[in-house]
Amino acid sequence: MPRPSMYSHGVRADRLRGHLDGLLLAVLADGPGHGYELGQRLTRGSGGELDVPEGSLYPALHRLERGGFVASAWSSGAGRRRRIYRMTSAGRRAAQASRREWRVFSAAVDRVLG
Amino acid sequence: MNAKTVDQYLTELSAALHARGAARRRFLRECGDHLADAAAERGEEHAVRAFGPPSEIAAEFDAEVAARRGLRSTLATLAGVLATAGSTLVLIHASSPGASAPAAWAITFFVAAQVAAVTAALALVQALVLRRSTMPAAEVLLLSRRNGCALMAAGMTMVSAGAALPGRGSAVLILAGPALVGVALVAVLRARSLARRLDGSGALAARPPLEDLRRLTRLPVPSLDAGRLLLVTTFVAAAAAFVRDRGERAAVSEALVTAGIEAAAVIGCFLLLGRALGVWHR
Repeated sequence: MPRPSMYSHGVRADRLRGHLDGLLLAVLADGPGHGYELGQRLTRGSGGELDVPEGSLYPALHRLERGGFVASAWSSGAGRRRRIYRMTSAGRRAAQASRREWRVFSAAVDRVLG
Repeated sequence: MNAKTVDQYLTELSAALHARGAARRRFLRECGDHLADAAAERGEEHAVRAFGPPSEIAAEFDAEVAARRGLRSTLATLAGVLATAGSTLVLIHASSPGASAPAAWAITFFVAAQVAAVTAALALVQALVLRRSTMPAAEVLLLSRRNGCALMAAGMTMVSAGAALPGRGSAVLILAGPALVGVALVAVLRARSLARRLDGSGALAARPPLEDLRRLTRLPVPSLDAGRLLLVTTFVAAAAAFVRDRGERAAVSEALVTAGIEAAAVIGCFLLLGRALGVWHR
């Protein structure tokens, strides 16, 4: 589908909003990381197709932490302090459930769209 | 978006945030770290543009802080209501031997106790259902109304017990409930204050309690419209009041009066508080 130039960021961000938590859990499955690093993994993993505003990662990470899916702590390294996020066991279960739900959802949409 | 420096962006983001306190400081610190990394890699202009409009990012974070405060204030409310129940029991056991409560205070006590228990349960079920998901500001406001109502009713339970049955008891035990209610009220007001700034609609959210119960327990809880819910609740409450009075050896006529008062109280509270507490809507 051609990418509309004027609204491209907003439309893609809106489509992603409901899936951002699942996507973050998926990239966290590769190992702990700080927000910027997780955003980079998301971009790399999608081949640059997922155009989520990077600032939205933090409310989502805080929400996942509230739900007990991730834990975080300040960590010092290379002369800087960073907040490192890691997945909990509840997060691992939620990531698997999210994958299953997405497969069912995308298969259903595929069937309708053809 | 005009070209901005990272510092200008962070100033705008900070100004757009309503949330205050440790969560805000942590968020701004994380955003600053992120933007510094991105600017070093891709340049300031690109880093700032990719981060998103400050007003939208601030609104997303404020909503998350409001949700967190709503959940925490529900736990505080639960502790306050339980502690008040304990303090009230201490008060009742400390009353003068043979003291009997005037009917008006006794009715106030029983109605307030039931309102406290029901509204605290409504808030708890709502909080458990939403504990892991996004929570719009209108939902946080509803949660705050339920928590606030539970705390006020718990306070009224204790006041009516103290007014009806004067006596002496341990000050620490008696004051523990009101102290925790005070702490919980502050938490509820903080959550409500932030949510009110985020929710411009002012519309009352409706949240049928049986649907929440079904989501939480995954049991086949039936769906009832507001009228049927009122009918079933009134019948069950009146029947329980009748059985309790008969169990205490009251005459059938006395137990029927108690059941009638209970039914009137349930209907009155449902009509008076039900819409504000999201149990029914127009």
